[in-house]
Amino acid sequence: MLEVVRLSYVYSPKTPFAKQALRGVDLKIEDGDFFGIIGGTGAGKSTLVSHFNALTRVQKKSGTVVVDGVDLSGKRLDLKKLRASVGMVFQYPEHQLFDDTVEKDVAFGPKNLGLTKDEQAARAKQAIELVGLDYAEFAQRSPFELSGGQKRRVAIAGVIAMHPKILVLDEPTAGLDPKGKREIMKLILNIKQLCPTVIMISHNMDEIAEYCNKIAVMKNGAVAGVYTPRELFGSRETIGSCGVALPLVTELAAKLCAAGLPVDPATLTEDDLIKQLTEAARA
Amino acid sequence: MRDLTVGQYYPSNSVVHRADPRFKLLILCVYFVMVFFCDTFFSFAFVTVFVLVTVFIARVPLLKVLKGIRPVLIVLLFTTALMIVFYRDESAAPLAEWWIFKIYLSGIYASLKLAWRLLLLVLMPSLLTLTSTPTEICDGWESLLTPLKWIKVPVHELALIMSIALRLIPTLVDETDKIMNAQKARCAEFDSRNPFKKIKAMLPVLIPLFVSSFRRADELADAMDSRCYRGAKGRTRMKKLKCRAGDVIALLFWCAVFVCVLFLKYNWLNWAFIPLLGI
Repeated sequence: MLEVVRLSYVYSPKTPFAKQALRGVDLKIEDGDFFGIIGGTGAGKSTLVSHFNALTRVQKKSGTVVVDGVDLSGKRLDLKKLRASVGMVFQYPEHQLFDDTVEKDVAFGPKNLGLTKDEQAARAKQAIELVGLDYAEFAQRSPFELSGGQKRRVAIAGVIAMHPKILVLDEPTAGLDPKGKREIMKLILNIKQLCPTVIMISHNMDEIAEYCNKIAVMKNGAVAGVYTPRELFGSRETIGSCGVALPLVTELAAKLCAAGLPVDPATLTEDDLIKQLTEAARA
Repeated sequence: MRDLTVGQYYPSNSVVHRADPRFKLLILCVYFVMVFFCDTFFSFAFVTVFVLVTVFIARVPLLKVLKGIRPVLIVLLFTTALMIVFYRDESAAPLAEWWIFKIYLSGIYASLKLAWRLLLLVLMPSLLTLTSTPTEICDGWESLLTPLKWIKVPVHELALIMSIALRLIPTLVDETDKIMNAQKARCAEFDSRNPFKKIKAMLPVLIPLFVSSFRRADELADAMDSRCYRGAKGRTRMKKLKCRAGDVIALLFWCAVFVCVLFLKYNWLNWAFIPLLGI
């Protein structure tokens, strides 16, 4: 379980550039959640999640973050253990690839954890296969000669290979074509069976509505509310007050409903919409 | 890494900030030459007063300006210490003597002057970078070096290279920050004591950084091409440097200070009060 308690954060404190990025954020993320975080640029989403594995340390007297009982505002923090248990996939993770083979790059995390060579290789193999790449074909290739989507898979594999218990993804589908987006989301669902808690920042409301079971809306460095997809996208008021756009499916469903078709205006997934429409056609 | 900024610009809306960077650079040149003509404590103090007044007008905290000393502090202390113990004055008896070291009163004076001079030499450039953005300084140089174009020096291209480099430093720092975080998230450690290990530990940061620099350079070249960039020929500026009366007055003022310093040194008119101002 991950708990954020009245967390605040100021960039460059006590200078003319000081900027308050977080103002008293409270959040509770349970094990097994697929937790979405949405909000406009500069809302503090990335600053918030970078606290989860102590890349950004909690500032003095600015609340705290507790991950599985470990208080991250404490002085003596086992960073290795924390970072192995909270995996973090940044935006455009393919930009961090560096080694000469895919296998070595994926094994970088396990190597830093001090695992044995065999264990490193085993974890790399498992992670590469988990992200849907053929081990025999890709393991010995250079990560720099792969396609964009493949590179991103390798980068995600590099995080998965540390066997995290909580996976944080910062816009995992940014810059991919629709097919690539779908594949990455499918892959995240696969990963979720191994790493039950997933936290995802996204600007794509369709992904948020389809996959997340809880959604935190951030605004100006604070959490404006935590909703289920149905609560958030189902009522016009919450959408209006949070300044959130509708998923395309929901917008389409709302228009179909307004046109007189028997469709639930708060439909959240394409499959659901198709089901309703085929039933309506049959009737 | 985030606190690392080249050109530690200190935003404020003072006269010094708004002044024409060309004139600031010219004043800096005059100032440098002037500092080397200072040779008595009085003339050092005289110049220091004007430096402090400039800092005050610029509304920059004095501490920020003094921070400019940090990189040269060791050199400063070292040279001063050497100067004190190795200065030789045949006309006077040493104050103290030990092994090959002899300390003379004139040696102490000379080293104090040396330290003061170094201090003055650092303060003004520090003030310049605090009150002008790197781009302004670059534009200023380009404009001042225009005469070199007549002897076919590619001034515009050099200035462009400089300004692109300056522009990209914060971007690269940001990028380095991001990549370091990404590798730290995979438990990489960068704070090893052993320098060789440290270099090896930096590879996972340096390689992606190089890759992305090349990517960025390609993108920038494409972007410039698609906007029909063709070098200096017929190119106009969006932000024209404008010199105002105040800039000229400031330059003339510093020239006047320079003349005063020259008078203090050479005393051309044999004024009787100048020798009384001390060593």
